[in-house]
Amino acid sequence: MRQPVRLAGNALLALAAIALLGVFIGPILWFALLAIRPSDTYFTMPPVLAFKPDWSSFIYTFRDPGNNLPQLINSIVVAVGAVALNLPFSLPAAYALSRYRVRGRKNIMLWYLGLLMAPPVAFLIPYSILASAVGLKGTYFSMILILQTLTIPFSIWLMKSFIDEVPFEIEEAARVDGAGTHAIITRVIFPLVRPGVIVTSMFAFVFSWNNAAFPLVLANRSTATLPVGTLNYFGTAGVTWGFIAAAAVAAMLPPMIIFLALDRYVVRGLTFGSVKG
Amino acid sequence: MTITLPPAVSRRGLLKGTGALAGAAALGSVPRRARAQSKSLRILVAGDPFYYALDGLKQQFKDETGIDPQIESISLEALQARLTSSFVSNQPDSDVISVDQMWLGQYLESKWILPLNDLIKADADVDIKDYIPEVLYSMNTWRGQVGTLPVAAYGQCVLYRKDFADAAGFAIPTDGSWSWADYLAMIKKMNGQTFDGGKMTGTVVAGQQPAPIVHMYTQLAASMGTRWFKSFPASKAWDFDPTIDTPENLDALKLFVELYKNSPPEAVGYNWFDAGMRFAKGNIGMFYWWTPYSYLCRKDGYMSGKDSVIADKIGIVRLPMAPGKEQVISIGGHSLGITANTAERDSAWKFIKWATSAKTQKAMALYDKYGHQFSDFARPSLYKDPDLLKLYPYLPAQMADLQRGNGKIVRPPCPVYTTLEGIYGLNLNKVLAGDLEPAQALKDTQTFFSTILKGNFLIPYKQPSYDDTLEATKQLMASLG
Amino acid sequence: MTAALRANPVARPPRRLRSLLPYLLISPSIILLLALIAFPLLFALKNSFYFWNLQMSPNPMGFIGLGNYTMAWSGSLFLGALWNTLVLTILGTAIEFVLGLAIALLLVRQLPGLNVVRALLILPTTIAPIVVGFLFRYMYDPGGGLIPWLLHAVGIPLPPQGLLGSGETALASVLFADVWQWTPFFAIVLYAGLLSVPPDIVEAARLDRASAWAMLTRIKLPLIRRTALIVVMLRFMQLFNTFDLVLVLTRGGPGTSSRTLGYSLYQQGLMDFNIGLSSAMTWMMVIIVNAIIGLFAFFAFKDLD
Repeated sequence: MRQPVRLAGNALLALAAIALLGVFIGPILWFALLAIRPSDTYFTMPPVLAFKPDWSSFIYTFRDPGNNLPQLINSIVVAVGAVALNLPFSLPAAYALSRYRVRGRKNIMLWYLGLLMAPPVAFLIPYSILASAVGLKGTYFSMILILQTLTIPFSIWLMKSFIDEVPFEIEEAARVDGAGTHAIITRVIFPLVRPGVIVTSMFAFVFSWNNAAFPLVLANRSTATLPVGTLNYFGTAGVTWGFIAAAAVAAMLPPMIIFLALDRYVVRGLTFGSVKG
Repeated sequence: MTITLPPAVSRRGLLKGTGALAGAAALGSVPRRARAQSKSLRILVAGDPFYYALDGLKQQFKDETGIDPQIESISLEALQARLTSSFVSNQPDSDVISVDQMWLGQYLESKWILPLNDLIKADADVDIKDYIPEVLYSMNTWRGQVGTLPVAAYGQCVLYRKDFADAAGFAIPTDGSWSWADYLAMIKKMNGQTFDGGKMTGTVVAGQQPAPIVHMYTQLAASMGTRWFKSFPASKAWDFDPTIDTPENLDALKLFVELYKNSPPEAVGYNWFDAGMRFAKGNIGMFYWWTPYSYLCRKDGYMSGKDSVIADKIGIVRLPMAPGKEQVISIGGHSLGITANTAERDSAWKFIKWATSAKTQKAMALYDKYGHQFSDFARPSLYKDPDLLKLYPYLPAQMADLQRGNGKIVRPPCPVYTTLEGIYGLNLNKVLAGDLEPAQALKDTQTFFSTILKGNFLIPYKQPSYDDTLEATKQLMASLG
Repeated sequence: MTAALRANPVARPPRRLRSLLPYLLISPSIILLLALIAFPLLFALKNSFYFWNLQMSPNPMGFIGLGNYTMAWSGSLFLGALWNTLVLTILGTAIEFVLGLAIALLLVRQLPGLNVVRALLILPTTIAPIVVGFLFRYMYDPGGGLIPWLLHAVGIPLPPQGLLGSGETALASVLFADVWQWTPFFAIVLYAGLLSVPPDIVEAARLDRASAWAMLTRIKLPLIRRTALIVVMLRFMQLFNTFDLVLVLTRGGPGTSSRTLGYSLYQQGLMDFNIGLSSAMTWMMVIIVNAIIGLFAFFAFKDLD
């Protein structure tokens, strides 16, 4: 009797899984289709699925005149730069906060958290003034630097909770064996926390990639990033849905590819301090 | 798969990496300087239809002058944000910019853009006399200075589905000799009729706050006699006491609510383009809107190049009036100005001259990569051009409306306009949404206007006034010509 | 029990020479963040007491004491926006948590194929909020969007103004878009947490004939409490600042029904360019944020170590 029940249960689970994909992945595909739809089927209901792909939106956004192509490259530079700058600051801090008895640890952690909650919109004009006062206005570096106010706090929280999970005994054993601090960090700790570092970097990348507020005022014509680029097709006289979708697809793909390619680290890295696994 | 993301490299390597990035960022200025030497020009405009035509023709400018125009178009809001932050931090990243008429005064007084009077005077090619004075008055002048030149000038007009009106026996006057009451009565009759195999809706409004609904409503309100302030701008003594809570404005708002009742309910959230494209779908009887929709509605989407179902069935006529009131048409659009601290002043001026010249404007109208998508001329000569009349047969009516235009009355370019528009738009939107009664909405708006204007030291007005009349603009044009 | 499991050797005091090391490791991040955050905060603090409206003048026009604060407060827009923000934030976090947990419990069954589902599930979370805004604006479109069509097909009545056009559904529609994007994040994080629940504890409970509900609420949830608290809080912070979704979807309308604090700030700062007023609003938000963090610290993180 148990067997059929289990089978029915499994069938239900399978249905639920398919429904999940439909709800969470379906809209992405639906929106992506918009980029290659002929314009007369944008808003046809019931949905038209059989259509001849129309590549003109991609051609317009990425080839002729292709305004979004440099923006794609800018997005990559900014996001990679933000990750690179983030790690040397957040990794040591997370390690120290996890491993040492730091006075005021709780307050420090909460302070980082408070930064995440600061309203970025409010800071756009001051940041723009600051960036130009130090001669960085319009550079990639200005965006990379200011993105740290979001990426460092998040990374420290994520990394600390990950390092918390790594047994201290391993480190101690290495120390007893006479390894120096540097060796312990590079040869013992780093391999252990690597999934955490990778996931932290993935999120830092995604946050930086997806941020549209800072580039809005900090970028100039040659450094603007892709999310801001999609906003430009949301104009006064017209909403060019095809162009928006084409630019948006390009803006969605890199983070998605990274998450799918590094999928095996996602679950291991995203523990946020749950019990050791 | 080996991971080659930054975490895999050593800490020292990471620090080097950021150093290199900082270096690269610092080097970022080198290519820019290099471009400046090769005579390129940075142009930043709003992404309206004129941009597509201008961008398509830029090679001509390069051929004529050897200057490479790099035209960037962004949304109106991103434009405002970027311009203001770059001016405040004193680092404009463009040589030529499009300036919203509402901000013209602010840009000139803050010395963010150059006044053009002397340049125009020294340069006969500008042909300043070949401009509709009402357009220059509305869009380009502030306290006796020309700050910008119009690259796309819009009025408002009525668009209707011609075959439907003919079949239903509506006689729609083309010369503007009808009233808003006639307009509403016709729409009420159109609403719900069956035509062409579908049910028709009377009209469509743009109800989204803040700008779209204000752009649409203020046309109706001004035409029915509403003014925003006691005396501005044509007065020797400016007085910003708001005159929003008035009987004529209440009549206008009630009429607007009636229009909404005969329009698709979702129009409460429509922006400019949503309203236009809704009409282009074919099941709307009649609506009024900015003149670019005369050609935009012939297409099924923005710059799609494909005809809409009503492409050859659109009737375009002049706006209705209110009995006993002087007709006033809203004027808006886009104008080009020169940023004050550009190093490329001469090139910038050359570009503005080129883009606003009759020759280029005509070429823009003939440019047809997306179909013919530009007829927003500010020069009377183009309204008489036979080639253009063939493509855009509605031009005479458009010209006649522009000559009744007064953008400074319909949407007065007073300081803090944007804030006032924000609150006006919010309250109008609340009325359509059913959250506020019209009378209460106007009362609230009036109170809020007073508070804002007092808070910004505009009531009482202590700075020097400038008697800003159309006549003054005409004299200015004569003196510069 | 949880404490014992979580026990994590906080380092025994290292040698004296090394006692400065942790501070050396932490301080670069703090110095950098302070340097970045201090300027805008002080800028806003100073200017919140000045009359500075870029529509009026490129420079501050004078000291007006608390004028900006009273203006922000009395405009009635602030309180309304605060209310909407709290509704959005609290409901959003709660719904995302509950749905995420349900999905996590499904995923944890370890059936063949579920791994693929889990891998794909994270994708909405990786999309830029502005793009999510466009995606839902497209799908909500009353004249041919997928969502109204589906709802209509299954007989759910829709407001005639459309989902984004009705005061009754606008905020909920913004909320739905956010829930769509972030439920998967909760699901994955809680799934990771559930995976790490030691099987022997679960087995022991099963032998004690604990019901599935009791198993969840008495054993599993307490074990992943810390994880849950951290993600709830992180999400709370992000939701509190929501503005890009509102900007693309509703612009706060109809009326003020979906106006959030983030969008109000955007309007004051980047549309009206009233630096003084937006600075005052910034500091009002900073104070509210600190109060919320204080509550968190007091209730949820009493035992944060």
